[in-house]
Amino acid sequence: MDTGEDLVLAGVRKLYGPAVVLDLDHLVLRRGEVVGLIGENGAGKSTMMGVVAGSVTPNAGTVSIAGKLLGTGGTLEAQELGVAMVSQEFPLVGQLSVTENLLLGRRASERRVLLDRRAMDDAAKGMLATVGLKVQVRRRVDSLSVAQRQMIEIAKALGRKPLVLILDEPTSALGPSESGRVLELARQHASGGGIVIFVGHRLHEVRAVADRVVVLRNGKLVADLTPAEATEPRLVREMVGMEILTGEELAAPAEGATLAFEARALEAEGLGPLDLKLRHGEVVGVAGLMGSGRSRLLHVVMGARASTRGAMELDGANYHPRSPLDAVNAGVGLVPEDRKSQALLIDASIRWNVTLAILRRISLRRFLLTPRADRREAVAIVERARVRCRTPEQSAGSLSGGNQQRMIFGRWMAARPRLLLLDEPTRGVDVGAKAEIYKLIEESRKEGMAILVASSELEELIGICHRIVVLRRGRITAQLDRSEFSKERIIAAAAIDRTAA
Amino acid sequence: MAASPQPGLEQAGSRGPASRRGSRIVGRMVESPEIGIILAVIVAMVVFTAINPLFIHVSELQNLGIDLAGFGILAVGESLAIITGGIDLSVGSLTAFFVVVSAWLNTTAGLPVLLAFAVAVLFGALWGLFHGLVITRLGVPPFVVTLVTFIFAAGADEAIAPNPIPISSTTFFAVAGSTVAGVPIAMVVFVVIALVAWFFLERTYIGRQVYAVGGSTEAARLAGIPISRRIVTAYVVSGACAAVVGIIEASRLTSGTADSVSGWELIAIASAVIGGASLAGGQGRIIGVVAGAALLVVLSDGLIFVDVNPYYQRMVVGVVLFVAVVVDRLRVRRLERLGGRTGLEVGTDPGGGGHSAASVPETS
Repeated sequence: MDTGEDLVLAGVRKLYGPAVVLDLDHLVLRRGEVVGLIGENGAGKSTMMGVVAGSVTPNAGTVSIAGKLLGTGGTLEAQELGVAMVSQEFPLVGQLSVTENLLLGRRASERRVLLDRRAMDDAAKGMLATVGLKVQVRRRVDSLSVAQRQMIEIAKALGRKPLVLILDEPTSALGPSESGRVLELARQHASGGGIVIFVGHRLHEVRAVADRVVVLRNGKLVADLTPAEATEPRLVREMVGMEILTGEELAAPAEGATLAFEARALEAEGLGPLDLKLRHGEVVGVAGLMGSGRSRLLHVVMGARASTRGAMELDGANYHPRSPLDAVNAGVGLVPEDRKSQALLIDASIRWNVTLAILRRISLRRFLLTPRADRREAVAIVERARVRCRTPEQSAGSLSGGNQQRMIFGRWMAARPRLLLLDEPTRGVDVGAKAEIYKLIEESRKEGMAILVASSELEELIGICHRIVVLRRGRITAQLDRSEFSKERIIAAAAIDRTAA
Repeated sequence: MAASPQPGLEQAGSRGPASRRGSRIVGRMVESPEIGIILAVIVAMVVFTAINPLFIHVSELQNLGIDLAGFGILAVGESLAIITGGIDLSVGSLTAFFVVVSAWLNTTAGLPVLLAFAVAVLFGALWGLFHGLVITRLGVPPFVVTLVTFIFAAGADEAIAPNPIPISSTTFFAVAGSTVAGVPIAMVVFVVIALVAWFFLERTYIGRQVYAVGGSTEAARLAGIPISRRIVTAYVVSGACAAVVGIIEASRLTSGTADSVSGWELIAIASAVIGGASLAGGQGRIIGVVAGAALLVVLSDGLIFVDVNPYYQRMVVGVVLFVAVVVDRLRVRRLERLGGRTGLEVGTDPGGGGHSAASVPETS
């Protein structure tokens, strides 16, 4: 069966600590095939792509490309064997021109030493023509749109004349016509005898382009389907698995709880218009695929991004934040997605971190920050958020991820907001710490905070929310009450194009 | 408080007690470099006095005090800019500029001395305001805008005073020439400025916010801190400090002479760095910055005093600065290591979805 011309993954296993993230028995991708690869977040797609592209070394098993075994030489070796990957984060050099990026590490002409600019430009133009992108090759890449950069990245990959072309959600940044062009390129590459791995989150696109659709779940291959078999409901079912999730006990918001937050026809760049209401003591989840606007929605409510239209109200009062400062003053708090770059003062003490959002309030005459008050507040917050530490004076960087996250929770719980925004509240924390964070969310809720939580983990949202809104391209495509929760419905609303939405 | 760590949850606690004690001492030295610097100042004083006991004679100490006032005030202003994660390169030529401007205001424009001082300091603050606004509104890197004004000011003082502007006011001379209970007035000014800066940074909520901006601008912004205002404040203070030092130098020179000081911005930056202000921002205490300035002044004055060839003086200062920079790097690397640890957890996340099977929703 293995003709020596194919891409074969045999017995490939990858573990991170005790967790098995990829476990494939035998997977053969043949020349001339576009293979759609789908799965939920964390299903093992990225790991599998990494294994093929050489950036992830498996703990067991072998990868052979056209009969040659891929060793431990990393991405360079994989490239030499003919693998080219178009990742979601474009490794383009923003300060260089299109030409320079396209030909990075290659030489366009025979002249040694000196760069032949004209020859390089011509080569670059040729590469752009294949992907149908019209931009000036001398332009700096950071002056281009994300969509244009995506096309350049694809041109760069194709320019290496690869055997295996890996496309990781290549259309997520693109409009319809460009997306169509990318699908066409994938087909062309396959019909020219190449192998294409197409990772997509828009199921209809995957169905349209693929000769086969492979579904991963929890690191395992659970389905290998023909396009005819791969109906959207089937794909969703395979991705989610058979597990049936019913809502556990979750106390409803108090009877007659008042409206805490309301957004009407709220719009911002790439978001909306959308309407949203939260009552006091209510936890509302925001689901959606990457790029659907989950974080964006939270940032707009926090005043960290400008809204362009629409109105917001907090406890019935007009709310129009121009900055996070306005939001904090009005009683809104945000636990951001990226702890390290958006939340932590990593080299400062825990004390400095936890009192950061309430400095003014705890200062004498709203000015004098006495060490006593500072310490007292810090100790109280650390206890309340159950941050495990020797002393509040130790640095935030010395804590584990879960502890850091609880510390940031403590920062905002202390600010006693009316509305607490949580962006991926349990990202990068272990299972035990997750449970404790859910407990903190529940405690804050009981105190009457309205909580809006965005997460890419559906189990999480289903477990802790009263209601889930599903975003797709910045708009709400579904609002589900707890009794209606199911992963399938959420994924369907997040992923499937409905012409009549 | 919930102090008992669960095994494996707390990373800092996972080492053995012996190595922990050792690393704690090292850690403290790394975390509070102030102590080391103060010790270095004392050692340097003792050594120079041992070589030549006249080093601690009153008049020599007074000279030392005036030198320290100049460098120290600049360093205090500079350290604010550094704490926000920026830098103020302009202070050296700005000081030279204000040597001329303060003399010009008093002698040529005929303003009473104290009014001339006030106008000069206000002008310095406005200059800093300009830096702050260009940085926060236009997004120009601090290094660039302050380099530009550094060059501008270096030319402007010559334009204003092609020839030295003589000063005749005795009040003006008093700044560097008179003492209060044996302490030079300039030194008193320095002590007051250092105390106010210390108070601002450590005892007001705004000061804490200045550190937060330097520690992580985005985290500070999302925590509701008006980052632009905090950054602007730092540069305003730095500009005003340069004006104050300009006045002190004019008083010492008894005239507004162009190009009177050069390279002082480097001494100010060096003082801040030696004193523990991290160029990455978010760190540095006034006590350390003052000690850093004191170390540089004691070294350079002391080496002159014991007749060491001036070339060697520069070299010694260079070595001290090198040591300080290396210590700063080690500190940053240590922080990066800690940061990298958290980064790793986030990094495993794509694969960490293997967890998600285990993470059945848990609400309690």
